[in-house]
Amino acid sequence: MQSQAVALDAPIAAEAPVGTDVVIETRNLSKIYRDFWGRQKVRALKALDLVVRRGEIFGLLGPNGSGKTTTIKLLLGLLFPTSGQALVFGKEASDVTKNERIGYLPEESYLYKFLNAEETLDFYGRLFDMPADVRRQRTAELIHLVKLDWAKQRQLKEYSKGMTRRIGLAQALINDPELIVLDEPTTGLDPIGCREMKDLILELRDRGKTVLMCSHLLADVQDVCDRIAILHQGELKELGRVDSLLKIRDVTEIRASGLNDAAKEEIRSVIARHNGQLVSMDNPTSTLEELFLSIVQDSEARPGRRARVEG
Amino acid sequence: MIIENEFPPYFEWLLAAGLTPGALWIWLLTNFLLLVAGLLGSFIFLTVRHGPAKSGDLIFKALAGVTDDVVHTSPRRVYALARLAVQEALRRRVLVGFMLFILILLFAGWFLDPGRTDPAKLYLGFVINATSYLVLFLALVLSAFSLPADLQSKTIYTVVTKPVRPSEVVLGRTLGFAAVSTGLLLVMGLFSYVFVVRTLDHAHTLTADDLAPKAPTEKGLVPPNKTGTTARHRHVIKPDQIELLAQEGHAETEPEQGHYHEITAVSRDGETEYRLGPPLGQLRARVPVYGTLMFRDRGGKPAEKGINVGNEWTYHSYIEGGSPAAGIWKFTGVTRDGFPNGIVLELSIRVFRTFKGTIDQPVLGSITLRNPTKPNEPITLKNFRAAEYAIDRHEIPAQFKDANGREIDLFRDVVSDDGELEIEIRCLERSQFYGLARPSVYLLRREGTPWINFAKGYVAIWLQMLLVTAFGVMWSTFLNGPVAMLATLGSIVGGFFVSFLQNLALNKSLGGGPVESVLRISQQKNLTEQLETDVTSAVAVMLDKILRIPLFVVSRILPNFQELNDVNYVADGYNISGDLLAIHLTTGLGYFIPVMLLGFLFFKLREVAK
Repeated sequence: MQSQAVALDAPIAAEAPVGTDVVIETRNLSKIYRDFWGRQKVRALKALDLVVRRGEIFGLLGPNGSGKTTTIKLLLGLLFPTSGQALVFGKEASDVTKNERIGYLPEESYLYKFLNAEETLDFYGRLFDMPADVRRQRTAELIHLVKLDWAKQRQLKEYSKGMTRRIGLAQALINDPELIVLDEPTTGLDPIGCREMKDLILELRDRGKTVLMCSHLLADVQDVCDRIAILHQGELKELGRVDSLLKIRDVTEIRASGLNDAAKEEIRSVIARHNGQLVSMDNPTSTLEELFLSIVQDSEARPGRRARVEG
Repeated sequence: MIIENEFPPYFEWLLAAGLTPGALWIWLLTNFLLLVAGLLGSFIFLTVRHGPAKSGDLIFKALAGVTDDVVHTSPRRVYALARLAVQEALRRRVLVGFMLFILILLFAGWFLDPGRTDPAKLYLGFVINATSYLVLFLALVLSAFSLPADLQSKTIYTVVTKPVRPSEVVLGRTLGFAAVSTGLLLVMGLFSYVFVVRTLDHAHTLTADDLAPKAPTEKGLVPPNKTGTTARHRHVIKPDQIELLAQEGHAETEPEQGHYHEITAVSRDGETEYRLGPPLGQLRARVPVYGTLMFRDRGGKPAEKGINVGNEWTYHSYIEGGSPAAGIWKFTGVTRDGFPNGIVLELSIRVFRTFKGTIDQPVLGSITLRNPTKPNEPITLKNFRAAEYAIDRHEIPAQFKDANGREIDLFRDVVSDDGELEIEIRCLERSQFYGLARPSVYLLRREGTPWINFAKGYVAIWLQMLLVTAFGVMWSTFLNGPVAMLATLGSIVGGFFVSFLQNLALNKSLGGGPVESVLRISQQKNLTEQLETDVTSAVAVMLDKILRIPLFVVSRILPNFQELNDVNYVADGYNISGDLLAIHLTTGLGYFIPVMLLGFLFFKLREVAK
C-alpha cells in the first residue's frame, strides 16, 4: 500500500472538473483567530485557492483542526476572512442573497428543539420567503424523502441523533438548492442511514446539484466525492479527482470469477514471465458495510429467520 | 396630584416649542451627531489597523450593507422569526410570570389598606406598578438571553445561512418578544381592571333609624346622619338629601374616600327600604382645562413668581397669607356652549405653614372671579379651606349668588365676551403660605371614560416594555446573555434617573460629581460642607469635570423612563390626553428606530461562528 500514499510535496493537481460553471471560488483565503486583545491565537486557514464547479461532489478532507469547517464557515459568511476572498456563485460570502441558492447541513443539525418536523421545515421555508402552499408541498415531500412521516408531529427534542440528521438534511433541501454544503453528513447515522445519505448525495449530483462536503470519514468521501481537497494545519495539501488520486499506476488489478487452481497458477507464471511481481492473489473480502446491509435486507425479506450470509 | 411635567400640544412639541426647537429637529440632530461620532471613531480605529483606504472602504461597505438590509427587509421573514421568538418565549415558561402576577393579586388584599383616603389611587397604583415591573422584568430576561442562547447552541447557523438579513433577525426577535409581552400585558391589564373594580365595589346599609333626626349632644351639636360602616368608612347624608329622598325617592350620600353612593327608597309591605347603589366617582378620568398663571406679590404688584420657601418642592411658588399676594389664573375658551351647566373648578394647593396653627384645620383662602375686561369688578366667590394632598372641588353654576348675596350670571357678568375668565386665589391666614403652580387650578371640562384612561396607562407600560426589549436585543447582538442583561438593566436604571444624570452632567447636583462624592464619603463630609483646599480635592473636582462629558452624552441619549410613566395620571384620576399619548408614542418610536439600527449594525459586523 506504500505506493498508494499521496505525494504531499507534489504540485497540486488541477484536473478538469465535471462542469464548467464556477460555484465556489476562494482566492488566497486566510483566517486567523485572534483573542480579545487582537493577538493572533490560531492561523486556521492559510491562503486557500479552490474552485468548485457546478455538478460535482467536492470533499474537504483533513484531520480535526485542519481548517475544513473554517473553510465552510467562511464560504457561508459565518466567519469573515482575515485576508483573501470567498466567492459563492460569484458573490462575496457576506452577501446574504447567495443563500437563496444554498442548502446547509451543519455538523450537528443545530435546530430548534421545541419545534416538530413540520414546524421546522415550515419555519425555514418562510425564511426563503416561500408562499404557504409551496411550503406545505415542500415540507410533505421532504419529510417523506427523509422517511420521517411517522414522527413529523413530534418535537425535535424527542428525536434520536439519526432522526435529527435527517430533518437537518430536509431543512437544507427546503429551497431546492443548487449548492448543498454538508458538514460531516453521515455523523450519527446508522449504516443504513449512512448508505441512504450517500445515495442521496449521489442522486443530488445526478440532478445537477453541486455538493460540498467535509468529513473525516475517508470511506464516505471515497464513496461519493468526485474531487477532494486535503487540508492539514490550515494548508491545502492535495486537490484532484478521487479516482485519479487513488489510482496506483504501477500496480495492475485483475478481478475474475470461475478460475480453478490451474488457471491461477498459469496467471502467476505469466506474471513471472513478464518480470512482474505478484503482490497478492486471493479471494476478495466484502466491506463490513456491505455485509451489514445484506443482513438487514435479508432480515427484512425473511423476518424471524437467521440471516443467510455466505461465508 | 399635580402634573409636574407640563407638555405642549403634540405638533408644537414635535416641530417647535417656543424658542426651543421641536423634538423632531433635536432627534435628527442628536442622531446625526451620534452617527458622525460613530463614523469618526470607527475610521480612527480601523485606520490604525488597516490604513485609511481600507478603513474607508470597510465603513462604506458597512453603511451600504445596513442600508441594503433595511431596504430589503422581508415582512414574511420577520414574521417567521417573530413567530419563532414567541414559541421560544412560551417554551421558556414565560407564563410563569403571569401566574406570579395572579398570585400577587390574590394576596394583594392582605397588604392594601381599604381604609385609605383614596383607595382607588392605592389599588390602581398597585396593579399598574406590579404589572409594569413584572412585564419589564420579563421583557428584560427574554430579550437579553435569546440571541446569545442561539449563538451558543449554534441554532443561529441554520438561520443566517438562509437569505436572512441581520435586520430581520434583530427585528424579528424584538417584535416576537414584544408580542409575547403585549399579550401578557393585555391579560394582566384585564385582570387588573377587574380586580380594582371588584375590590372597590361595596355597599352600605341604611335604615330609617339612620335617617331619623339625631338628638343634640351635650355641647349642643347635632350629629350628622350616616350610613352603616363598610370598608372602614361611612357616608354622611345631609338633611337636604334626606328631604329629597322623602320627596322623590332618590338622593345621594356625601363623598367619602373619593366616592359617593346613590340612595333609592323602595316601599315594600308598607315599609320603606333604603338601598345604596355601587360606589360612584371612584375611577375617574378628569379632562382639565389649564389656564396661565401670574402672581401678585405681597405689595399687590404683578410678579412672575411667588416666594421661594426653600427646597421643599421647588415646583411650587408660594404666596403669603394675609397680604395682597395672590395667584391669578387666566382661562380662555370659557363659553356657555362649552360649559352649559356652569364650571367646575378644582384646586390642588400646597400649604406651607410657618406656625402650627390649628393643625387639624386646613388653612383658609379665598376664590375671586374676575372678568379680564373689567379688572376693577372682582366677584368674591367664596372662602375655602385648602385641602392639602387632596383635590378641592368647587362648582360654579351658570347663575349663582356671590359672597355678598348678589345674583350673578357667570357668562354675562364674569366671563368676557371672548370667553376669558380670571380666577384669583389668596391665602387669608397671616404667616401661612399657599404653594401654587399652573396646574394647581383648573376647570373640569368633562370626565373621560375610566377604562379607556386605564388602557392608555397600559400603553405607557407597553412603550417602556418595547424599549426594554429593543435595548435587550440590541445589547445581546454582541454581548453574552448575563452581560447583555446587565447592560439593558443599566439602560433602564439610567433611564429612570435621567434627570439626576442631567443634574450631575450640568454640575447642578449638591455635593458635586461622583468622584467628589466618594471623597466626601471618605472624609465624612456632608453635601453642603466645603471641601478642603488641597490637591486631593482639586483632583476630584477636575476628574468630575472630565466625567461630566460622558455623563452629559449618556443623559441625552437614554430614554427618560420616568417621563414615559403615566401611572400617576391613571391612579390620580386624570385623563391621559391624546397629545401626551402621541408625545410618548413618538418618543418611544424615536428611541426604537436608532436602537434597532444599532442592533442591525452590531449583528452585521459580528462573526456569527467562532
